[in-house]
Amino acid sequence: MISHNGPSHRSFERWYWGLWVLLPMAGLFVYPFLWMFLSMFKGNQEIFQPTSLLPDQWDLAHLRRLLAGEWFPFWRVLGLSLFMAVGQALGAVVLTSMTGFAFAKLRFRGRSLLLVACLFTIVLPRQLLVVPLFEWVHSIGLHGSVWGVMFPGMVSGLGVLFFTQVFRQVPDAYLETACLEGVSEWGAYRLLLPMLGSCLLSYGLIHFILAWNEHLIPLVVLGGAEQQTLPLALASLYSSSLRFPYAALMAGSFVAMIPPMVFFLFSYRRFRDALSNVILS
Amino acid sequence: MSAVRSRSLAGLLGPFFFLFILFWLVPLIGGLRLSLHSNTLVGEGVFVGLHHYRELMEDARYFKALRNTSFYAFFTLALILPVAVVFAHALQSLGGRLRSLMQFVMLIPGLTPPAVLALLFLLVFHGRQGLLNQWFVIPLGGQPINWLKDPDVILMALIMQCAWRWLGFMTFFIHSGMQSIPGIYYEALEVETRKAWHRFRWVTLPCLRHVILFCLMYLVVDAFALFSGAYVLLGGSGGTADAGLMLVSYTYQRALAFGEFGSAAAMSVSVAPCLLGILGCVVWISRRWAFKSGGHKV
Repeated sequence: MISHNGPSHRSFERWYWGLWVLLPMAGLFVYPFLWMFLSMFKGNQEIFQPTSLLPDQWDLAHLRRLLAGEWFPFWRVLGLSLFMAVGQALGAVVLTSMTGFAFAKLRFRGRSLLLVACLFTIVLPRQLLVVPLFEWVHSIGLHGSVWGVMFPGMVSGLGVLFFTQVFRQVPDAYLETACLEGVSEWGAYRLLLPMLGSCLLSYGLIHFILAWNEHLIPLVVLGGAEQQTLPLALASLYSSSLRFPYAALMAGSFVAMIPPMVFFLFSYRRFRDALSNVILS
Repeated sequence: MSAVRSRSLAGLLGPFFFLFILFWLVPLIGGLRLSLHSNTLVGEGVFVGLHHYRELMEDARYFKALRNTSFYAFFTLALILPVAVVFAHALQSLGGRLRSLMQFVMLIPGLTPPAVLALLFLLVFHGRQGLLNQWFVIPLGGQPINWLKDPDVILMALIMQCAWRWLGFMTFFIHSGMQSIPGIYYEALEVETRKAWHRFRWVTLPCLRHVILFCLMYLVVDAFALFSGAYVLLGGSGGTADAGLMLVSYTYQRALAFGEFGSAAAMSVSVAPCLLGILGCVVWISRRWAFKSGGHKV
């Protein structure tokens, strides 16, 4: 908690009116996921009764068949997804924090021009440029390679703005001291990094989630079925056949939710504090 | 600060802008070039000038997609932002631990892959057994609605899905924004008025300007980049009578299903000024508004 000085801490607090508003909403938010989790034990017929929650019998066969790779090489797909999302997040954190540092702390010509360029990557996301991106990735031979997904993903204008804001909040005195000691700009950047642990973590988390959830770019760049990410594999399973056991789809979806949730659970508090300190200042 | 050594500057900025040029600027220019050439996938197409753009102007499906997307963007905004402000106040009224828990629960939908969400919503929207029908439409005395087949409601279904997905995140941002408003502003206002509405109108809302602007931009860009939700939910097409056809899905369809790369590129390129225009308007309005309500300029 940052402070207790927000609005309305006086007149409403005693009534807990918020609870009456939020509890039904929380139900709406949680129920589908609960249902999805429980559906992986059900047969097709049962699944199409979304109002009944508990399965008739707890049948783990579908999950087991999914993990055994009956429909797609499950572990390889999972590993590839994780590798791509983590790699992309790490790359984005390193690159954008470097850029953000330069924007916030160094004066140089063309600075505002470059900043505007970063803004443009937010305003025109690569999903809109997917066709020429596809053609270009194809022509430089990154087609079907994970790098063709990861490199474009690292160009994150949002990250640059985020870290520019972060580094602006670091007092200049640190840098001046570092300069007196004869440390280069690069060295100063590295000295500042450990102070910004939660900001780095927060942005990494956001980027991981975005990368993990990305559908269009992997679909277009990876092409073909040999290399798939988990969302892709699930989507293509879904469209492949109607006789397909939905329970396996539910199990797969549940697995696909685990990594972002786990990462988020572990860093929730730091994420919240860092974000409210940075974006809102 | 002392003069920046150009070598270290290049070291700091170089890697990012290298990728920026390679994977953003070049595709953008490539898109422009592609949109002026004929539809061939392999090798150089013939230069056709503005042919694809003229074709677009006559393409009813393109306008349908454009209209759907703008409609979708507008209504998700109109639905999410006010509700998020209310929810943020509701969160504010809760105690510490309960508040954290609620916040976390509300963020879950935003963390989930859209492909998974679309799968879930297939059953929420299911024609007869879907939750929406079973819980809301039938108890309220309506006929079950086939949410994903009836062209009148497909877009509504997509909007609901989007609202459900992002409501938590927007509430989270706005709530964090509310927490960072110094209490002294409220105390100062108390000298003049004690009405809750006035506190909201003259302190909370102006102080939340930046956050709301951020949310607005995020949602608009997200709406224009919408792909996965509509793609999986509607099985890769635009749905019945193209009622759920979105710009990115249509571009994807034209390029990768029909192989018409030139037309698809022209479509992407034509969206850019639209989106820039919309965002420019948003920023302009918020600045004017800030000026009027006496806030300092952004």
